[in-house]
Amino acid sequence: MSETKDKAKIKEAVKRVKRETYTPVKPDTQLGFVHNNVDCIGCRACEIACKDKNGLMPGPRFRRVQYIEGGTYPNVYAYKVNMSCNHCAEPACLPTCPTGAIFKRKADGIVDIDSTLCIGCRRCEAACPFGAPQFDPADNIVKKCNMCVDEIEAGRKPYCVMACMMRVLDIGQIDSIWDGELETVAVGPNDEIVRQVKNMANIELTKPSIGFVPHSKGKVK
Amino acid sequence: MKLEAQFIFFSLLFSMLMMAGNGAFAADGIKGNYEQARWHPIHFKPAIDDATDEQCLSCHQEILDRKVLKKSLAGVSSTATTAWYQTLSSYSGEQDTFHRRHLVTPLAKQVMDMKCNTCHQGSNPRQEAAIPPDHSNTDFTLRKAVNPDICLMCHGANPYKLMGLPSPWSESRNMFQGNCLLCHASIRTTRHQVNFLKADAIEEAGIKDSDVCFGCHGGRQWYRIPYPYPRHSWKGMAKEIPDWAKERPTLSEPRFQIKIKQAAK
Repeated sequence: MSETKDKAKIKEAVKRVKRETYTPVKPDTQLGFVHNNVDCIGCRACEIACKDKNGLMPGPRFRRVQYIEGGTYPNVYAYKVNMSCNHCAEPACLPTCPTGAIFKRKADGIVDIDSTLCIGCRRCEAACPFGAPQFDPADNIVKKCNMCVDEIEAGRKPYCVMACMMRVLDIGQIDSIWDGELETVAVGPNDEIVRQVKNMANIELTKPSIGFVPHSKGKVK
Repeated sequence: MKLEAQFIFFSLLFSMLMMAGNGAFAADGIKGNYEQARWHPIHFKPAIDDATDEQCLSCHQEILDRKVLKKSLAGVSSTATTAWYQTLSSYSGEQDTFHRRHLVTPLAKQVMDMKCNTCHQGSNPRQEAAIPPDHSNTDFTLRKAVNPDICLMCHGANPYKLMGLPSPWSESRNMFQGNCLLCHASIRTTRHQVNFLKADAIEEAGIKDSDVCFGCHGGRQWYRIPYPYPRHSWKGMAKEIPDWAKERPTLSEPRFQIKIKQAAK
């Protein structure tokens, strides 16, 4: 092994390796959210709890309750789709980050951002098909949901889940959510779980770790 | 005389109206009134299709003025790290913001002709899907200012299997001398003939260094799937359509077609 460090050579080698393209992290287990679109009343308690936890000013919202309303009287309908970061299996935000601020945890698949490394180029914000990364103009950097990773490490659930008064939001191992095996009150005994609802971006883009109990009008055929 | 005066008066009035329509958009009294501005018709179809960059930037100029932090909060210099896509031959210059990279940086000016409404097809202030929600109409994807399918055109995966490569381009590029034109000099489509790209400049750049093709065809890959490009016909195209291309359209989306309409004026 050479004892001298040729910085130019090292930089070139780093470039060569990086050129091999980005390889997504394969986590030991993948945590994800499940949301019941039908029973959610859209109170936004989850949004407020999240903002409270993360000290967010008006503007950026890590969790977003989206209202879908339509139909013609008497056949009208309304339901909610509630999303934050979907901690995708192959996140688009991660490879766009020029400073390596975004990372996916090997242990539980949570996609987190070290905002102290962020330079505010907003590439991740553009790349995410679900609008998860939020630009905070006060700090000139991007921040996002990290599933309250400190709570997860302490064996508790994220603030949004704990704040949900209807108990329609929960987390769990994503395969068990999709299989309907997760024990949760967010999913009723006869409810089916789907991975995509109408007007949600193509899940093949990033493979989001989320499951929904869909409204009959929100089902993708 | 009276008729002449009338003619001059109406000509002046018409000119003033035209100037008001094309010029300083922000001066129409809504700047500073956020609630009024977000519901302005220009943020919705059909007005968004005819919005000019000048109109958009009259309120959103900060997207071009903003610069990245020289140092992150932890003190890491923006020039100290290299993302994998920065190793591409077509990536140059210091770190810059996302919007500037698409509109005003040298590569953007050289090969692209993007306008604000090439990507932005309006906003949805109530964060609702288009009513009724319809999965075939994905212009308004939930909580996303831009339909990711637009991004996918240049930020998708390289479909190396469809192209008959033995392995991903990063592995097989040496086999092809790092030269896309080794095969694509003869297998050429006309898919760059859209109004948000400078097709001639792309051809020139490709001849100069054919590895630059990879920049938009896998090198800046955000998503794990390739974009199903419309199958524009080309000279010498085989009559038989391969299975993977059977569902594909043969023309680009109307708003991107050069002949039909500019994505923005």
